[in-house]
Amino acid sequence: MAAPIPEAMLATPGAPALPSLVSARRLRSQRIGRALRLWIPAGILILLLAICFVLPLIVTMPSSTSGNIIYNNESPFSPGHLLGTNVQGVDIFSQLVYGGQVAFEVALSVTLIGLVIGCTLGITAGYFGGWVDAVISRVFDVLIAFPALVLALVIAEGLGPSETHVIWALSVFGIPAFGRISRGATLTVRALPYLTAARLSGTRAWRIIARHILPNIMPAIVTFSLLGIGIVIILEGALDYLGYGIPLPESSWGSMIAQGQQILTAQPEYVLIPSIALVITVASVNMLGDALRERWGVQ
Amino acid sequence: MNGIQAPDALLAVEDLRVAFAVGGREVRAVDGVSYVVGPGKTLAIIGESGSGKTVGCRAIMGLLPAGTSISGSARLRGTEMIGLNDSEMRRHRGQDMAMIFQDPSRSLNPTMRVGVQITEAIRTHRKVDRSEARVQAIELLRLVRIPAAERRFHEYPHQLSGGMRQRIMIAMALACRPKLLIADEATTALDVTTQAQIMELLLELQAELGMALILISHDLGLAASYADEVVVMYAGKIVEQAPARRLFGAGGTVKMRYTRALLDAIPHLERAAHTELPVVGGRPPDPTALPVGCSFAPRCPAAADDCMVEEPALTEHAAGHRWACYHPCENGVSA
Amino acid sequence: MALVTQFQLQQRAARARERARGRAGSPALRVVGRRLLAAIPVLIGVTFLTFSIMSALPNDTAQAILGLNASPSAVAALNHTLGLDQPFWQRYWHWLSNVLHGNFGNTVQGASVNHELAIHVPTTLALVLYALVVSVGLSIIVASLAARRPNGIADRISLTVSMLGLSTAPYVFAFLLIIVFAVKLPWFPVLSGAVTGPGSFFKNLTLPACSIGFGLFAIYTRLLRADMVEQMQREDYIVTAKAKGVPPWRVLLRHALRNSMFNLITVIGLNLGGLVGAAAIIETIFQVQGIGNDLLTGISNHDVALVEGITLIFALVTVAGNLLADLAYAVLDPRIRYGSSNS
Repeated sequence: MAAPIPEAMLATPGAPALPSLVSARRLRSQRIGRALRLWIPAGILILLLAICFVLPLIVTMPSSTSGNIIYNNESPFSPGHLLGTNVQGVDIFSQLVYGGQVAFEVALSVTLIGLVIGCTLGITAGYFGGWVDAVISRVFDVLIAFPALVLALVIAEGLGPSETHVIWALSVFGIPAFGRISRGATLTVRALPYLTAARLSGTRAWRIIARHILPNIMPAIVTFSLLGIGIVIILEGALDYLGYGIPLPESSWGSMIAQGQQILTAQPEYVLIPSIALVITVASVNMLGDALRERWGVQ
Repeated sequence: MNGIQAPDALLAVEDLRVAFAVGGREVRAVDGVSYVVGPGKTLAIIGESGSGKTVGCRAIMGLLPAGTSISGSARLRGTEMIGLNDSEMRRHRGQDMAMIFQDPSRSLNPTMRVGVQITEAIRTHRKVDRSEARVQAIELLRLVRIPAAERRFHEYPHQLSGGMRQRIMIAMALACRPKLLIADEATTALDVTTQAQIMELLLELQAELGMALILISHDLGLAASYADEVVVMYAGKIVEQAPARRLFGAGGTVKMRYTRALLDAIPHLERAAHTELPVVGGRPPDPTALPVGCSFAPRCPAAADDCMVEEPALTEHAAGHRWACYHPCENGVSA
Repeated sequence: MALVTQFQLQQRAARARERARGRAGSPALRVVGRRLLAAIPVLIGVTFLTFSIMSALPNDTAQAILGLNASPSAVAALNHTLGLDQPFWQRYWHWLSNVLHGNFGNTVQGASVNHELAIHVPTTLALVLYALVVSVGLSIIVASLAARRPNGIADRISLTVSMLGLSTAPYVFAFLLIIVFAVKLPWFPVLSGAVTGPGSFFKNLTLPACSIGFGLFAIYTRLLRADMVEQMQREDYIVTAKAKGVPPWRVLLRHALRNSMFNLITVIGLNLGGLVGAAAIIETIFQVQGIGNDLLTGISNHDVALVEGITLIFALVTVAGNLLADLAYAVLDPRIRYGSSNS
């Protein structure tokens, strides 16, 4: 007996209008709101990516690693220096752009590695269970028991500063994180009746995984990836700030903050500029993740 | 019995309408419903899911979300309930009228002791301290025939059986001795034996406290056994309305096809074994796309051309008995 | 930082209930026992991993201490003194057996690690607790205001602030706080002094605690708000409460918030690891003399004993946090604590 009437809708006055209780006008503004929440962060991200990766190809940027000390401490919008220069005369905007490149490269690499390796392990653990699961889960537990930063620090410090080492160090955190999520999602999906049917009918394991499990856990994995990108950007910034990440004179947002810290009291803008860049980038990624989660109904 | 002037009625509902906006279209969950409940009497509102039976009563209690348009009148002892703001409504809720719900395992807060949930009902409306409230609560537990009341007071809902949880719900509802109790599918989630026990309990309490009772259900048999007055709803409207004894039992004259179909669908012991149960075919109509004419026509075995053209009005054809049909049953037998 | 979704929390709760059901003896105790047992191999694994990494990576502790100009024989001599030329397993076993006796060994400077920890752990503890109390307290208040009227003003503000909190790294927020509250407005010192009493406690630890707390506040608020709104909309016992005539604020706080606390405690527990990690950087920025600061100096000095000791503590905290998260259900949820006794 279908009951289209939401007889069980008993919210408090002022509760968010659930989709079925909204007037036409409200519905439209809700739809617009939802689209905005998706496309504005997406747009900002695309813009940031364009600035960081496409702009240097089109425009000749001042060097981000060395500068003429004569022109130090220039203020923003001075000729040739969009955001001014720092104490050593290095152009700040260039630093921002190349630092952004690093941030995105590291974040995307770590996420990709975590996704591929972590999900493979996680799905295997979740699907096959038994001792495979036990072993893999224990390993994950140990890795996750470290605060991410500490683990990354120890590794990065030992390996020496370099972008690739940073990626490896952060992947050690990323892989178990993805592994856990994908394992959990696999367990949920695995319990569904139609999957039991598929297994009983003798379908080969990899086929089931590829055709049933993967599509079902995709939304959760993707939204988690976006959150993960944000976290990695922050962690990478922390490593750079502490000096264990991207080696100077390569620019990175974290090292910009570290350098700016010296003159924090006198000229806070050297810290503020990379900080704002960090916040905007991570916020866009988070908001995009939220919007996708909303759209795909992932919890 | 359904006159607009019924001065000694406990609850007088007149032309109640409740509408939601669903996906941009208007849904009339309740479309012009009027009835009267006398003090100490029992009214049964029967209908399928989606008929509007629950929504109507929740509208009277003020439990519908904001953004619902409610119009019409519902007077509880002369006081108009529709249109009150929330704080005024709260004074009546729980005190003058109370409601119990279908699934007691979900209607009780699982992390709160049962006794506290009852004392909350008491202390919301009365200025009593905790120990006095506790005494009253235990008294209520005894009233609803829960054994070892003092021990039960400290227990959590999951520690009690379904029937007992429903008794707790009743105890909470009766905390301030309301004059009207609405039981929304109160026995649907219980097994048959417990159902009977709870219904008996409700009747005893009704007699003890002089309370009026509204039974909302899809079960016509319930109405037949316990109600004084019956209202049958379909697609937001009342389609048949009569005192119970006019509809059921010897000499009962059910006029509406729909009511007839509901009655026929109740399994009888007297029927020969393996007889097919006459069910009502089809599904309730989509409230956003109601058919022109009689809403029941698409499923009615006796539908004729005039049924599809204009909706029959609910009129009093016989004393105290109203129905809305162009081709009602004759003598309680489906034609 | 462990980002936990509401869905995962529900899964945890359901699993906890499943596990506890149908078992003789106190369910809570069983869960605790099993968890503790499972934690031990994890802790051993953690220390082993840290040790291996620190040992396997190019290691020139003695060199670093003596300087680049030191003679190879001096370096070798120091290596021997510090026991760094022993084989890996020997060193690890040596360290582990010491730890089990409560001795964390010596730093490269020769000071006792135990001593260092004893001095600095209380400071970090104070900082972390301060951050927790502030973030939890504020998030309960803000989430309640937001959940009271979803999509209202308080709600929109809380959602915006939470998003900012999630997106702003603790070290970024630290600098923002310093710029505003220490430089522009001389309310707080830029660098922390020692904490000697309540006055210095608030003066020195407020900015660091807020730096850590902002991110936590964001996580907790989002979770609480979503949980409470979901309850107010979907749960039948909320309707019952309203039908009794209970005023809306009481319904929100007494019924919805109460049930949300489980999830809150779980998330607090799961995020404890991230909390101490963030504390490490924050301590460095503000020069708070806690073990986070020690850890970073230890890493740059290749001070294995110190790093191991502190890492062990951090791991303990993380594991304890996970334990707490599981226990939140096992111990606090009356459905598990009292079992069912149908009569």
